[in-house]
Amino acid sequence: MSFLEIRGLSKDLGEFSLKEVDLDLETGTYLAVIGPTGAGKTILLECLVGFYLPEAGHILLEGEDITRCRPEHRHIGIVYQDFALLPHMDVRRNIGYGLRRRLRGEALETRVREMAEVLRIDHLLHRAPGTLSGGEKQRVALARSLIVKPRLLLMDEPFSALDPRTRRKLRRLLRRVIKETGTTVIHVTHDLDDVWSLADEVAFLRHGQLVQSGTVQEVMRRPRRRCVADFLGINLFHGQVRDQRDGICRIQAGEMELFSTDRAQPGEEVRVAIRPEQVILAERCEGPVSTRNILLCNVVDIFPENGVYLVELERRGAHLSAVVTYDALQDLGLAPGSAVTALIKSTHVAIVG
Amino acid sequence: MFRPVNLFRLVLVALSFGVTGILVLAIGSFFVVADWTEVGRNLLDPTLLASLRLSLWTAATSALLVMLCALPIGLALSRYAFRGRGLVKAVVDLPVAFPELVLGLCLLLCFGKTPVGKWLAAVGLPLVFTKQGVVAAQFFTALPYAIRIMKSTYDFIDPRLEFVSRSLGYSSLQTFWNVTLPMAKSGLVAAGVISFARCLGTFGTVLILAGGSAGKTDTLPIHLYLNISYGNLSLAMTSGMVLIVVAFAAIFLFEKTEARL
Repeated sequence: MSFLEIRGLSKDLGEFSLKEVDLDLETGTYLAVIGPTGAGKTILLECLVGFYLPEAGHILLEGEDITRCRPEHRHIGIVYQDFALLPHMDVRRNIGYGLRRRLRGEALETRVREMAEVLRIDHLLHRAPGTLSGGEKQRVALARSLIVKPRLLLMDEPFSALDPRTRRKLRRLLRRVIKETGTTVIHVTHDLDDVWSLADEVAFLRHGQLVQSGTVQEVMRRPRRRCVADFLGINLFHGQVRDQRDGICRIQAGEMELFSTDRAQPGEEVRVAIRPEQVILAERCEGPVSTRNILLCNVVDIFPENGVYLVELERRGAHLSAVVTYDALQDLGLAPGSAVTALIKSTHVAIVG
Repeated sequence: MFRPVNLFRLVLVALSFGVTGILVLAIGSFFVVADWTEVGRNLLDPTLLASLRLSLWTAATSALLVMLCALPIGLALSRYAFRGRGLVKAVVDLPVAFPELVLGLCLLLCFGKTPVGKWLAAVGLPLVFTKQGVVAAQFFTALPYAIRIMKSTYDFIDPRLEFVSRSLGYSSLQTFWNVTLPMAKSGLVAAGVISFARCLGTFGTVLILAGGSAGKTDTLPIHLYLNISYGNLSLAMTSGMVLIVVAFAAIFLFEKTEARL
């Protein structure tokens, strides 16, 4: 029995929906839920916290069926993208709000101060939420959720309204706090940096359906479906295993021949994933190299992305993306229409089933 | 530095001044035309004082009842999608579009001719031609305005603040008390003041349901109307002045309270 078991969860809100979602989560796991806008990620969180009653399916938390349980009896915390701090309460009262039901006076003040110190906001306790920066507000929202020790913490794009520097600082802080408290987290995000920095597991939702889930390495490196690969920016090809010799599979993917160190049976239909940053570009390839995949391609397009350049290549009708730095772009003299050789080690060609 | 004339702005400002100017003139005429010696004497008139007392307590009672109903109805209309929500909203809004006399007639028929009215009379709450009828008439006249204000106030409060409160262990009622109500206090005060002012000024509904009998159910607007019909313009004007002063005091109090919220 898992800590959290979601079985056949369905909810239709017209524009957004969930369709028979099944998910398992172990105690202390940090799950990132990713997917395009309108995939149903937020509905999933709001069904879990109890704001929507699902039309079908079950939610079991520590073996207890909480599907129809009221939100106040679930002990599940939620942190929103826009913080949702109570504007008529100062930071102290916001943090202590959930505890006020059980504690008063000095005991409450001590707990609030301790939590504020953990999140480094103890100097802000007297301030009104409206006077805080985005990063400070988010730390207050986190403190308010964590102080009641929720069984499960849900976060809906908690960093998306923050600047990149604050986001990095908060990720580090959150990682430390979550590890220290051992909280089980479900974090909805569009930002893949959140996934790499924080998550143990990833679930990909699309059109309300769970498309793929697994460990970060499994999902982020080995997407099994085209939509997941596209979302993650990974090259995905369909092909057939021709043969397997000396631990290397030869795969025919359209007009391309690819080599992979992963195992598969000859004749098997497979999907092959290649991360763009693992594609090396060279002006030409002369003499022996340790790379098995040497593909002569044409540059179709080049566009900047996150401080590097994404080069879209074409080889006999198949498309392949590679990531290069500005210096590499200049050294190679890459431009749309120019010829280039793509080199990929067979260890970086992943057979994903 | 030369600033080009913004004709659009000029027209809007001129229109604002034009319309409010006419209103100020209309209200001011009360005070300009008045014979102040007579006004002073009229203010001590026992019939006017009795009407003032009746108006204040009935308006206060009605406004309180209106708020007790507007708070939950506004919340229901704002937060919950239930079957018949549109119908409830339309029925509640209906009196806004009704002439007061028609509303009064509807209430008179309901409380005078139907089993509901007979039952109320039997349990000691007769509403036709009674002081309680004044409260009922004021209540139904002011209720739609208060519900509208409370609904828009709740609409502006992010429901996720309430979700967070629920997730932190508070029930719906506790969340309403801790989160929704404190955040709605500005709208609450506005709805209260407008309800009170609306109750105070209700004429047609009170006249039809409560009868407007002198010394019994003559609130200030009815006192004003009765004195005009008797040809006692001076006493009618004094009633009007008192109504204006009380309304101004309520608005002033609202402005002061709103600034502190």
